[in-house]
Amino acid sequence: MLPLSLLRTAQNHPMLVELKNGETYNGHLVSCDNWMNINLREVICTSRDGDKFWRMPECYIRGSTIKYLRIPDEVIDMVKEETAIKNRGRDNKGAKSQRGRPATRGNFGRGGGKTGNIGGRNLAQKTKQK
Amino acid sequence: MSSGLDVFVNHTVAIITSDGRNFIGTLKGFDQTINIILDESHERVYSTATGVEQVMLGLHIIRGDNVAIIGLIDEELDNRLNLASIKAEPLNSVVH
Repeated sequence: MLPLSLLRTAQNHPMLVELKNGETYNGHLVSCDNWMNINLREVICTSRDGDKFWRMPECYIRGSTIKYLRIPDEVIDMVKEETAIKNRGRDNKGAKSQRGRPATRGNFGRGGGKTGNIGGRNLAQKTKQK
Repeated sequence: MSSGLDVFVNHTVAIITSDGRNFIGTLKGFDQTINIILDESHERVYSTATGVEQVMLGLHIIRGDNVAIIGLIDEELDNRLNLASIKAEPLNSVVH
């Protein structure tokens, strides 16, 4: 699976984007391109130290400034469904349905922060021993 | 295209990023710029005061620019580790 296919599938989903400078952007992905440039809507920007916040209706982030993106767990299952649907369009063979994955997924917020922030290093989330 | 990473797909890997962080998760995919899909991931935060702290994170796309090292994890050995007793200095970021 290609990272950019996953990102394309994550359109209209909430996500956290951490930039190389440590700032994080929480918002809904509107669109993305092959350079990982992205459009977010309803954004909360958090400073590097996590002490300052800015709200903005939308923003555009140049792909090359991104460190990583956190996306909801269930999106990875949707990529498989999408490719299955595409394959079904091409020929009627193959393309097994990927439904029926364990229900341990979802719960993206994991208890949820006050700001609706979905995490990052600054928010000490409870740890779990593997 | 084969960059040698394909043998790691669907295995547990450790990704050390250029800011010195250590992500553990299942490698679900990558591309020619080493952008990486890491599923069911967590971060291991090392410190000299307390043991290793694990921060559950979930599904990640890590941009290739920031990836310094990708290592295959021996899950059996990893499960035997007592992380709470491992104390170490955190890594520094890459010096450019």
